[in-house]
Formats: sequence, C-alpha cells, structure tokens
Amino acid sequence: MKSTLIRSLTALAGLLALSVSVFAHHGSRVSYDLTKQITMKGVVTEYQYQNPHIYIMYDVKDESGNVAHWGAETNSPIVQARWGWDKHTLKPGDEITITVYPSKVGSTRGYLSKLVTPDGKVTNLSAPEQ
Amino acid sequence: MRRALGVGIVVLMAVVFAPAARGQGSRGAAPSATKDLPFDAHDLSGAWWRHGKSGSTLSRNNVPPMTPSAQARYAANKPGIGRPERIVPLGNDPAMACDPIGFPRVMFYDAYPTEIVQIPGRILEFFDYFYVHRTIWMDGRQLPKDPDPTWYGVSVGHWEGDTLVVETVGFNDRTWLDDDGHPHTEDMRVEERYRRVNHDTIELNMTIIDPKSYTQPWVGETKTWTLDPKLELREDVCVPSDEEKYKEEMRVPAATAPGK
Repeated sequence: MKSTLIRSLTALAGLLALSVSVFAHHGSRVSYDLTKQITMKGVVTEYQYQNPHIYIMYDVKDESGNVAHWGAETNSPIVQARWGWDKHTLKPGDEITITVYPSKVGSTRGYLSKLVTPDGKVTNLSAPEQ
Repeated sequence: MRRALGVGIVVLMAVVFAPAARGQGSRGAAPSATKDLPFDAHDLSGAWWRHGKSGSTLSRNNVPPMTPSAQARYAANKPGIGRPERIVPLGNDPAMACDPIGFPRVMFYDAYPTEIVQIPGRILEFFDYFYVHRTIWMDGRQLPKDPDPTWYGVSVGHWEGDTLVVETVGFNDRTWLDDDGHPHTEDMRVEERYRRVNHDTIELNMTIIDPKSYTQPWVGETKTWTLDPKLELREDVCVPSDEEKYKEEMRVPAATAPGK
C-alpha cells in the first residue's frame, strides 16, 4: 500500500514536470495570447478526441440571445490522458465552463486553460512557458 | 521511506486536479526504489522515458555553422512548433502534413517514450509518437555501401564494452532534424552511443555528421532515459484527414481575424 501511494504521488510530481513542455504545437502558441484568459459558459457541439490536438467546438450565448461559435484546443489524446481525459470526457450537449487563452487576432478560438465538465470535474492545465 | 512519504503528501496537497495514473507509471524526480538493483549492461530492454535539456532537438546550444545550401533550406523551413522567433501560425513542417517524422527527429520528444526490445540479431526501438519502430541490426553486418534513401535510415550496431554503438546511413533528405527545421542531406550519418549506467537509466549520446549541411559534426547533449516498468506504449498516429479537419476548424481560424 505504501509503495503504491508513493508511486501515485511520484506520478503526480511527474505530471507537474511534464505539463509545461508539451504545450507548444502546430503554431498554437504563436496564435494565442498567453497573457489573457477568458472564461465562458457554453454548450458543446463537437468533441474532437483525435490527433494532432483534441479540440472542442462549443456555442456561447450572450444576454441578447446571440450565439457565438467557439473552438478550444488542447493536447493530443495520449498526453491529455494524464489529466484523466478519454473518449467519454465530453459529448455534444454538455454544458461546460471553459477558460481559454484567446486568439491574438480576436477570432473565436482559444487554447484550453481550464475546463469544468457537467459532473463538476475540473481540469486545470498549467500556464505554458512563453 | 518516511521522508519520501512526507514529500509526497506535500505534492498531493499542492495539486488541484486528480489525473489518472493509467499505466503511465512514474517519471518524476522522486527517488526510485529500483535504481540500485543489479542490472545487465547489455540488456537495454524496457520502456524508457526520455529526458534532455534542449527539448525537441539534438541540442540547443552547440549547433555547428551551416553550409550556404543548408542555410537556405533552414530559412525556407517554417516551423509550426518550437522557438518563438521562428514559428509561424501556418508553417510548412512536413510532419504537420503527416509525412514520416523520420530519424533522428523521432528520438527527441520528451513527452513520448521509447520501448526497446532485444531479439537475436536485432534491437528494435518502438515509439508511440507516430507509432513507428526502427531496427538496429546486431548480426555483425556492415553498413550498406550505397543504400536507398529512406525516412529512418539503416542502422547497424555493435558493443564496445558496455556501450552500444549504432551507426545509421541511408537517409532521404526530406525530414527535418528537429522542430526548428534544421535540414540534412542524403549523405548524413548518425552515430549513437547508449550506455546503461544503472538499473533505471540509459545515457544516450548522439552525433550527426553531414558535411554538406554542417561544417563540423553536430555533437548532441547527453539524453537521459529512465526505465518505467509500468509504461505501456499507446498508439499516437498522425492522420492526414484529421490534420486537415483540425486545420480547417482550429488552426486557420485561430490565426485569421474575423471578417477576413
């Protein structure tokens, strides 16, 4: 039991060490403003659980009822597994609270920073290095 | 034991989320229970996490001067990943179109492990990144004299004491050496030296020799590989149709101002 606990805790330590190094990919870092974070409530329309990056398409409704179509990307499935993600993590219709680093040019795209899924589970991705 | 437990509890308190440990095992800096076990220096088998200080390249700091032709190719290569001063949102890295990542670039991604399998006459290295393997021939053969150009080359190895020395030739010139877009020619030769320094650790030193691209051999930093008995490689393929879909739905819109 003790050695299992140590292995798990060591895995968590490794996770912290790992998380920063895999951020930059496919020009993602250069497209997003890493000094800003926006939090939104939205409804999932697509959950693309695939390479090269998992990405979520979701609709955000403002007070007037206008709908903005957003997309947020994150790591590949094999890397995102370290945060407990799998093919069941999201599905169309899910209501989410999502925080992203937004597109530098103001388009409705972002890089995932934090996600709260309908079950209340929180995924916190550490801030990427500049 | 108690001290490690105490440190572990501090780490646990500091962590907000609860990731699954999913057969990924441990790759952190905590002391290993198996490091000082006896080992066979000629047995490199197992799944190894790879670590380097330079990230996804042979080395950051001592890249030799490039020849004029290599410089021209380097300037034309537009990375989508890597150093901020070089990357552009819509680069031309062939790996982003799912061209084979090739050797030695496949060796440099620290987030992805290598699994080594030794069978008579061969050592096989498996990579979940791009889901490929390479063969190191250990049957005493010579390097081919006039090999066909390939993405991963032809590798021949032999033991010098406790060091596995591997030489690879027979490359095409279509792969990048790293995310930064360093080029190479078909005449490149790569030398690797593997040494298992304790039960849990392999040290890998690699040199790239390509006089048509680099005026001196490019001697890499020492990469450190650590054994993980619980690690199971997973499929991580590059799918051209998924790349296309991702590009249309995310990569291009992220870099395109609204109304354009």
